[in-house]
Amino acid sequence: MGGLLRKIRGTGRVAEAAPPRPEADPLPAARELGGSVQVRCVDAGSCNGCEIEIGNAFGPVYDAERYGVRLVASPRHADVALVTGPVTRNMAEPLRRTVAAMPQPAIVVAVGDCALDCGEFAGGYGVEGSVVDMVSVDVSVPGCPPEPAAIVTALRTLTGR
Amino acid sequence: MNAVGPALAAVGGLAVAGALAGGLAPARVRPLAAGLCTAGLGAAGVVAGAAALGGARYGVWLPGLLPLAGVRLAVDPLSGLFMAVTGAVTVAVAVYGVGYASPGGGMHGGRGPGDEDAAGSAGGRHAGSDAHEPRDALAAGGGDHGVRSRGAQAVGPVFAGAMVLVPAAGSVSTFLLLWELMALASLLLVLAEHRERPTVRSAGLWYAVMTHLGLVLLLVGLALFAARAGGESFAALRAGAGGMPAGVRGTVFVMTALAFTSKAGLAPLHAWLPRAHPEAPSHVSALMSAAMVNLGVYGLLRVGFDLLGGGPAWWWLLLMGAGALSAVYGILQAAMASDLKRLLAYSTSENLGLVVLGTGAAGLFRAAGDRPLAALALAAALLHVVNHAAFKALLFCAAGSVLRATGLRDLDRLGGLRARMPVTAGLFALGALGAVALPPGNGFVSEWLLLQALVHGLAVPGAAAAVVLPVAVAVIALSAGLAAAVFVKALGVGFFARPRSAGAGRAVESPPAMLAGMALLAACCAALALVPGALGPALTRAVRAAGVGTEKPLADGELGVHLAHTSAALHPLWVALALVAGTAAVAGLARLPARRRARRRDARLWDCGGGAPTARMAYTATSFAEPLQRVFDDVLAPEQDVDVTPVRESAYLVERVRFQRLVPDRIEHRLYRPLLAAVSGLADRARGLGGGSVHLYLGYGLFGLVAVLAALVVGW
Ligand code: SF4
Repeated sequence: MGGLLRKIRGTGRVAEAAPPRPEADPLPAARELGGSVQVRCVDAGSCNGCEIEIGNAFGPVYDAERYGVRLVASPRHADVALVTGPVTRNMAEPLRRTVAAMPQPAIVVAVGDCALDCGEFAGGYGVEGSVVDMVSVDVSVPGCPPEPAAIVTALRTLTGR
Repeated sequence: MNAVGPALAAVGGLAVAGALAGGLAPARVRPLAAGLCTAGLGAAGVVAGAAALGGARYGVWLPGLLPLAGVRLAVDPLSGLFMAVTGAVTVAVAVYGVGYASPGGGMHGGRGPGDEDAAGSAGGRHAGSDAHEPRDALAAGGGDHGVRSRGAQAVGPVFAGAMVLVPAAGSVSTFLLLWELMALASLLLVLAEHRERPTVRSAGLWYAVMTHLGLVLLLVGLALFAARAGGESFAALRAGAGGMPAGVRGTVFVMTALAFTSKAGLAPLHAWLPRAHPEAPSHVSALMSAAMVNLGVYGLLRVGFDLLGGGPAWWWLLLMGAGALSAVYGILQAAMASDLKRLLAYSTSENLGLVVLGTGAAGLFRAAGDRPLAALALAAALLHVVNHAAFKALLFCAAGSVLRATGLRDLDRLGGLRARMPVTAGLFALGALGAVALPPGNGFVSEWLLLQALVHGLAVPGAAAAVVLPVAVAVIALSAGLAAAVFVKALGVGFFARPRSAGAGRAVESPPAMLAGMALLAACCAALALVPGALGPALTRAVRAAGVGTEKPLADGELGVHLAHTSAALHPLWVALALVAGTAAVAGLARLPARRRARRRDARLWDCGGGAPTARMAYTATSFAEPLQRVFDDVLAPEQDVDVTPVRESAYLVERVRFQRLVPDRIEHRLYRPLLAAVSGLADRARGLGGGSVHLYLGYGLFGLVAVLAALVVGW
């Protein structure tokens, strides 16, 4: 316990200074959320590269939570679905159901090139299509994988903070 | 002349009439005729009991009825209480029994637990075939075995009559005769469905052996008592008990207490109860669990307090120990049980344990000279007898409805009955509320009284009281907490969620006669829960008749319970009203914000995106009990067995996993198995004595006679 406390004191704050607020106007649907956005991640078949970057976005360095974004464990609690990867056959229906299970307004953020156009995996035998083909996407974050800063910026357009 | 005599005559007469009706009437009207006689004799029992509780005393000697000793009856308020309880249970259960024995229902082909496995694991595969065939066969055949047979219908009224009359016995011979009649009749009833399930036979064997060992103990103990007292009527015993040496009194008490606690289903002599009660037809289980076991308590009170006139503290500490052991052990086993009726049977063991705990506390206080407190403890115990009879009869009847409708007793395969059998589910919930000892259930009132008595008992001097009473309080608290888990399991897993087998999915509500019988019991439960104070004067008289205390334990003229000697009071009616008002207020408040929200959207159940959840994913009784089983691992010592079969090609690919867990009755394993092994070992060795030679046998006779004569000469 003492070791942990010492470690915390010794390390100090590692979060980078907050970049300026993004210029883009927040989505009309996101304005209703009042700056507090609950996010549910859906891995629709990604290589996990995108997940690692999302993990970093919510880690101590980028610290997305300070802008009012929070990860939750069920679509029933979520305002935003953060979807990664090409949509595989087994995940197509669960993805649709997840978005349908969210309270309105449900916002979908597609993260990574795969989510936008199947990227590396386009034409793969188990790939059903991109996220854009399955559900209506509100915000896209390109990159393979996108940088945590890009993910954070996209989320900040939703919180407006 | 009072009402007791004619009412007792009516009980006897109706028992005989019922037996004749059950034996001779044509199959179509048989259950109705026998049931009406049984209900009538129950009502007569209630009349006799109520009259006796009102203060009427009755005694009669009928020398012509039995050779040598004659029949002697003596009724006082203590007998009255037990007669009234037995009678009331009998009325309700008899009404229920008419419906239970009527044609229809899934169970009457007698599909036992063995067949359930097939039906359950195969899911809907045999949905169409597995239950209808036996049902139809029986409906057509008119039922020459099972609960509708001549034998079972004829014995039912005899059993009920014997139970009502046992407390009226006024001499050792009459008591033993009625006691044995009750035991034999109940044994025959337990065996009623022996053709359907092989388990019935082993249950019957256990019951027969244990009840007769009890009878032998009782016979020897009471014969010793009568021989020393110089007469076998209870009056003579009472008069002679004072002059007996302490050793003889102690022996009599221990022998009779062993027999009576075994009848009451107390650990460690409980082994017959979780076998016989589940295997009996359900209305018989209700009678056994709600009425017959009480008579064990009656015997303890009659012999321990009344006839022997109380005794030293160690008698009562023994009783308290047995009571505490069965309270905790019974409810723990109930928590592990997934057979609904077995669960209820173990809960009987628990409740009677609490009653005997209270009885022992009463004796302890009396031995310490604190009569008012003794009276309070005994009043609490007696009230718990009444409460337990009401809710346990209701629970067993509801379990019987479930069994009849689904053919299942296994909670793991039930479920979904709330929608299919709403009345039964509601009634079971009411009974369960009584059993969990939480307000506003009826069990709460008596357990509260018992706790009051024990807590106030801390003022009693003596090291034993200082050690035992706090432990007893803890035992009651622990058993009440576990009881809540047990009945949440029984109700939640058995009646809510979705049906987990084809049998449970096909269930339909029971016929009106069964519902009427259960409704009677439910009304009793509600009355006991709301206005227990109405029983106050009756309890006072019963306690006084037991010779425990002349003081009033409870103040008269109150609807609630008001302790006469301390300031404690409980008003269940107000508690119930406050709960209702509170629930209504919370429900109303919860509605308020919901009304403002305009947008509502239908959505499918969230199933994590996979397929819809199946009934296989629901909690079963076993999984619900698993955390408790972990906590009490050392006590329960479950036997677990995981068997993994890999496919032939690779050790890493699993083809089949078999998991099996048994929670054996540990007392039975440790105590009975070695004993049985020793007995059968002795019997094997004794076989050598029977060589087949006549000379040898004559020699045995001679030596036996000489040995007895020599013992008499030397020892007497
Ligand atoms: S975009 Fe790149 S990192 Fe993300 S899932 Fe596709 S391949 Fe992996």
